[in-house]
Amino acid sequence: MENMIYAENLRKEFKKIIKEPGLKGAAKALFKPKREIITAVDDISFTVSKGEILGFIGPNGAGKSTVIKMLTGILMPTSGVCRINGKIPKEDRKNYVREIGVVFGQRTQLWWDLALRETYAVLKEIYQVPDEQYKKRMAFLNEVLELDDFITSPVRTLSLGQRMRADIAASLLHSPKVLFLDEPTIGLDVVVKENIRSAIKKINEDEGTTVILTTHDLADIEYLCERIVMIDKGKKVFDGAISELKHNFGDVRTLEFELTGVPDFQLLDYSRHFKMKENDIRAELDGSTVRVRFDTSKVSVEEIVSYTLRTVHVKDLNIKDVEIEEIIKRLYRREVSL
Amino acid sequence: MRYFRLHRIFIAQYLKKLMEYKVDFLLGAIGMIITQALQLLFLGIIFSQIPALIGWSFEEILFIYGFSLIAKSLDHLFTDNLWMVGYRIVRKGEFDKYLTRPINTLYHVIAENFCVDAFGEILTCLLLLGYSIPKLSLPFHWYTTPLLLIVVVFATLIYTSLKIMTSAISFWTKASGHITHMLYMTNDFSKYPISIYNKTVQTVITYVIPFAFTAYYPASYFLTGENPLFCIGGTVIAGSVLFALALFVWNRGLAAYESAGS
Repeated sequence: MENMIYAENLRKEFKKIIKEPGLKGAAKALFKPKREIITAVDDISFTVSKGEILGFIGPNGAGKSTVIKMLTGILMPTSGVCRINGKIPKEDRKNYVREIGVVFGQRTQLWWDLALRETYAVLKEIYQVPDEQYKKRMAFLNEVLELDDFITSPVRTLSLGQRMRADIAASLLHSPKVLFLDEPTIGLDVVVKENIRSAIKKINEDEGTTVILTTHDLADIEYLCERIVMIDKGKKVFDGAISELKHNFGDVRTLEFELTGVPDFQLLDYSRHFKMKENDIRAELDGSTVRVRFDTSKVSVEEIVSYTLRTVHVKDLNIKDVEIEEIIKRLYRREVSL
Repeated sequence: MRYFRLHRIFIAQYLKKLMEYKVDFLLGAIGMIITQALQLLFLGIIFSQIPALIGWSFEEILFIYGFSLIAKSLDHLFTDNLWMVGYRIVRKGEFDKYLTRPINTLYHVIAENFCVDAFGEILTCLLLLGYSIPKLSLPFHWYTTPLLLIVVVFATLIYTSLKIMTSAISFWTKASGHITHMLYMTNDFSKYPISIYNKTVQTVITYVIPFAFTAYYPASYFLTGENPLFCIGGTVIAGSVLFALALFVWNRGLAAYESAGS
């Protein structure tokens, strides 16, 4: 399929002046600055097909926002190329941004003092949306994002959930071909999150909008994306389908045993019994349930079960499916290497 | 044409916003009028003691003073948001927004705000010119009005360009509001005939930070009709060169912009 977003060897370096602590350190940095180059994004390449929703994940400070900012033309890459919708962002900025929508969850793009409706009227002019299309579009956005309740309120009076919906609507007003969402569900309650997720899905399905989404909420990813790119410390660590992630790292399994007697938990010492490191096998007690997470490449489900049944009395047993969240947690903690 | 239309919309929105904060607007306007009234009072007191200053009469001084406010107030009225670039917008990463919109970033920043505080200066300017012009016998030809318009445009451009340049420094240094402020303060020199200053100050405000071309030089031409090439031509050249330089610095700044973490 056609590539909508194409990034090759993207790299971004920032110069940073190192300061020693305190006022003295600050003064020293003023006269004799010690400079260091920080590589925020280190040779990242990936592509996104037309109409795809790509989940872009990684721990805090991994460089996600920096990549998004390079793709949207806000930052100039130190080296590397990105081409989106056939255009190079920094070369043809005005024409390029006409066909993209951008939402930064942390920062509103709306005018703080204007009523929301006025904000959209200004954006209509900026993006030169024809009257007829604007009316239709507003009706549609109203419907999917439920803006009606607060469209006459000044932006400064909106709650975070309202503001985020308003921001997303603003980014979609001109029917962009590519939508960049940087943490669009940050700090929101479950209901608003679901509303936003289904809006993104609807826009993607109805209009074939290509979406690139960063988030820390893996439920967003599971609901919206088939493929993820994961980065850490500026480097790409995984690029593939979620099913592939599960397949590759699915050797991390969880078994749950409900004990008849809670004190029995003392008798279970998995890491000593199987002579494995704490990282490869981990047991925790939750109420009367023991949850054992382990690496199936090192010990089999059968061994765990038979050891547990031999050692303690078990009322119930549950073998859980591989959870993407668990895999990602382990990747973040660098327990699994790629 | 599209930008004119946009500008109208921005100003309309600004006025709506003004209505949101009526008290703030009222107090701002009162403050501005008091500031200007005090400055005029001060000028009146000085000239009640000194009837003339190095060959310039009281009325002529008032004319120069009033003339200096034309460019200053227009720049103030339309491009006040540039201050925020140096103080806040770049440092806080708010500039991201402008880069994701399909219009010129410089235009967008400027158009977004419209500073009604400037009406205090405009009022003073009109009062001063309205008082002094009838008492002076200014040379008037058919080309005086077009020349005046040209001067106003390029003199305003001098102000705006200096503000653009110093604001754009923040793309590298993150904050540059104080640099703009420092530079802006030197425009006070241009309110009076520059012959009252020593050579160094004269050279600086003519060739380095050419604020003298926003007031004294063109005003002296309209007063005396002498030296049009230097007084008017100088304003046009200073305005054009500075504006070209400002656009260059701004565009280089855009590439250096580093945003802020989020």
